[in-house]
Amino acid sequence: MSLLRYGHDAYGATVLNGVSWDLLPVAFWAGVAVIVVHLIWRALRRGKCA
Amino acid sequence: MSNDKLLRHARIDRCFHWLTAIAMTMLLLTSLSPILGWNWAWYGVHWVAGLLLTLLILLHIVRALFWQRPGTMLLSASDFSARGAGKYTLAQKMMHLGWMLAVLVAIVTGLLLLKKAGVPFMERDPYMYSLGTWGVLTLLHDLAALLSVFLVLVHVYFAVLPEKRAYLRAMVSGSISRADLAAEHDVERVERGE
Repeated sequence: MSLLRYGHDAYGATVLNGVSWDLLPVAFWAGVAVIVVHLIWRALRRGKCA
Repeated sequence: MSNDKLLRHARIDRCFHWLTAIAMTMLLLTSLSPILGWNWAWYGVHWVAGLLLTLLILLHIVRALFWQRPGTMLLSASDFSARGAGKYTLAQKMMHLGWMLAVLVAIVTGLLLLKKAGVPFMERDPYMYSLGTWGVLTLLHDLAALLSVFLVLVHVYFAVLPEKRAYLRAMVSGSISRADLAAEHDVERVERGE
């Protein structure tokens, strides 16, 4: 998985183009991970209170 | 409004929130759809939504500074004490901080990138900056977009959680009951405008 996108200028030199879109699923799954961790924490807390 | 209810969000702030949500949704859909394989003329919708978001954020900043109490959204030592929160909880302040970072970076870099890509009211000048500088601006714009994807998921999740739904109702109707507020807030602090 690459972190950055690169292109080439008119002389063939490598130039930065932006963030690699391989990171899009990472951002998505990071959000899902926070949700899952919170759901587990919430369930454990409710279990303690019951 | 009954004595049991407190005004949480004025109508203008609710309008700002939902218009911002529409603009952000349009921005994310238009920018991410080609990456997800849907190729269409997305750029026109993207820059119009971007300018709408810019206008909304400028209005929000002016309103927050001159008509609201911006201190209610700032992190403070009391956020880490056992007492109830003021108007906003620590989690809500962190979410606002995250959105502030993502949106401000996206707006500043997006406005500069308009000069490279071109819009009908401004002459295109891709030679204004070097390719390396355009690359860094695009990188920051992309990072803001990725952070936004993360924040949308977390924000929507907390909005629809049953125990947090009073906040969502308040963002629709404007008011929240003292009982709902008392779950995480010190109602007296909220009434003092803290």
